[in-house]
Amino acid sequence: MKRWTLTMTLLSGLLALASCRRDTPPAGPEAAVGEPIRIGALFAETGPASFLGAPAARTARMLTEQINAEGGLLGRPVELVLRDTGGSPERAVSFARQLIEEERVVAIIGPSTSGETMQIKDICQAAHMPLISCAAAEVIVNPVASYVFKTPQKDSQAAAWIFKTMNEMNISRIGVVSGNTGFGNAGKAQLEALAPEFGIEIAASEIYDSRATDLTDILTKVRGQNVQAVVNWSIVPAQAIVARNMRQLGMDVPLFQSHGYGNIKYVEQGGEAAEGTLFPGGRLLIVDTLPDDHPQKAPLAAYKKAYEERFNEEVSTFGGHAYDAFMIVAEAIRKAGSTERSAVRDAIESLQGFVGTGGIFNFSPEDHNGLDMDAFEMLTVRNGRFEKYSKP
Amino acid sequence: MRAAVRHALPMIAMTAGVVALQLVISAADRQFYMTQLVMALYYTIVVMGLCLVMGYAGQVSLGHGGFFALGGYTSAILTTRNLAAHLRPETLQTLERIGLLWSRTDLYGAPLATLAPWPAFVAALLLTGAVALILGFPALRLKGHYLAMATLGFGLIVYRMLLGSAFTGYADGITGVPPWRLAPGVTVSGAMDNRIVNYYIACGFLLFVLWFLRNLTGSRHGRALRSIHDSETAAKAMGVNTPRLKLQAFVISAVLAAAAGSFLTHFNGGIGPSEADAMKSVRYLTLVAAGGMANIWGAMGVSLALTFLSLRGVFGVYDHAVFGGLLIVIVSVAPNGPGRWVADLLRRRRPTVRSSGAAAEPAT
Repeated sequence: MKRWTLTMTLLSGLLALASCRRDTPPAGPEAAVGEPIRIGALFAETGPASFLGAPAARTARMLTEQINAEGGLLGRPVELVLRDTGGSPERAVSFARQLIEEERVVAIIGPSTSGETMQIKDICQAAHMPLISCAAAEVIVNPVASYVFKTPQKDSQAAAWIFKTMNEMNISRIGVVSGNTGFGNAGKAQLEALAPEFGIEIAASEIYDSRATDLTDILTKVRGQNVQAVVNWSIVPAQAIVARNMRQLGMDVPLFQSHGYGNIKYVEQGGEAAEGTLFPGGRLLIVDTLPDDHPQKAPLAAYKKAYEERFNEEVSTFGGHAYDAFMIVAEAIRKAGSTERSAVRDAIESLQGFVGTGGIFNFSPEDHNGLDMDAFEMLTVRNGRFEKYSKP
Repeated sequence: MRAAVRHALPMIAMTAGVVALQLVISAADRQFYMTQLVMALYYTIVVMGLCLVMGYAGQVSLGHGGFFALGGYTSAILTTRNLAAHLRPETLQTLERIGLLWSRTDLYGAPLATLAPWPAFVAALLLTGAVALILGFPALRLKGHYLAMATLGFGLIVYRMLLGSAFTGYADGITGVPPWRLAPGVTVSGAMDNRIVNYYIACGFLLFVLWFLRNLTGSRHGRALRSIHDSETAAKAMGVNTPRLKLQAFVISAVLAAAAGSFLTHFNGGIGPSEADAMKSVRYLTLVAAGGMANIWGAMGVSLALTFLSLRGVFGVYDHAVFGGLLIVIVSVAPNGPGRWVADLLRRRRPTVRSSGAAAEPAT
């Protein structure tokens, strides 16, 4: 008899505890001057996608401090409302609703994975909440939802860069290995769709488990097809394993990786075997070697310096995607001169020539990614560093 | 008569509590709590079902995340797969007239004809029930932890298959699951103006499960189940058909998990493979343990509170750590559930008033 009464008491106690959490009153659209502008962020700081989300979350925190130190936006301070999704869609849904209904943010940046983004795409669209995703999949912006944008370059552009380089190198017969994640599958589909256009034959295509620790079996199969190059499309740690296993099998054909290779940690893990790996990447990774008159040089160098001094780790493509998303929102708020969500959305859509880490963004009602082929450079690994690839 | 009132009283109090909570939340203008509250309610139904298997039948299941995902994914796939291109228009019309099919246009104006949520829900329950039956039938005829092993394997298989097939959207899962209209004005969806309705749907479902489990565990079947938990040999000697009872409890609990999965998928508008992750199953299991094992009230209270706080992001990046730490504390300080722990504390403080009565009170 008594047990349920006590359970109920305990339960209401916990609920009360939850409600008196450091909740700030929701800021209405008619917020007073000096009231903070709230920007929402959803990143997988923990869990299996943390190698994407952790640099992104650090970047967002750092940029918030920087902007506030410079006097904020529209004369108001900026407040970052960051939630850790752990990479699971149901948490992304819960937090997205929280940011929309409760925290009343101006826009949401993130999440880092395509799966989470797709789960909240319709929610944000229905609530008229600008969402600037940091995930790669093209379905995020195709078909276009008027409130949903993304900052990473498109898979199809990465695939086209790889094939273009292969044409230059007179490679026509290749093997493809890809991870069984959404990213790997999307990349594989793009490679298969674009190969005929570039006159390239995919002689072998293998899928492996993204958590595999040894890939010699599938690489042996690929080797048997006498391919002239291997393309790997996946995310860590397999990217380093492919390089090592190819070396062990005595395969001396070039290895191409996807744009997901843009973190120096993969090179470190691959060691000697990573030398000569080719991949399309943004200029953030080679900012030191960019000519001084390149429009991306100054902002990228500033971001890289600030990030590396602050967090004592090398800057990566994934933190860069968050940089782009955050700065696009900030720029749009400045341009719109208001924190009205629809005005901010309109400002993003009409943003032209915005210089970010991923490239130079030119948004339009049809293109909510805003990047073209020029966003990428073909990069390679030499002496354990990234550098621009030039034909030998 | 008095016994009947005594029996019904907790349910009445619980219903009153549900209504009171809604009124308090609305009065405080904090309706947004209901989003996470509804999600926590559905997860709690899984935990309560698992309580039947663990606390009463004495079996360990590490596959309830898998059953939840099976239910959710079945609903999601059947209500999003476009049949417009595969069926003849006449067939479509006939099916729609009898309520099996539902045509509409998607967000971008393309025609879309899918199975209606009701038949999809029934299919999800049947499929999960069948899978649980196949899984449990051999495993539960054996003594020992065979069910734990079988369900652990099952959970891993489901997780890998969800990640690996185009059918289930790989790592991205399935999105665009339509709202589920149960009755006019009663729709399972996450829309903002629909929060209070959904709160009552989820609470109604939870109350039903509570009523059902209380009656089941209080019945002859329930006593037989508990006898298995205490000593399977003794139960057998008393003529209890142990394999059959264990199997029944297991299938009921799996179907409850699938039903919760189906509801939550419609509420969220999608589902991802993380629902079938082994960590999720372990979480359900520990919540039952923290609630006091054979203690449906405890499992419900602990699960509701912790899941709610976790979904609100109160624990931040320490979610797993705080969750795990709290559970360790609860299990070591209050192994019979926090409710009973508080009761014991109170009893110790007032030894003369309650000692005899409380000691004699049967452990239901």
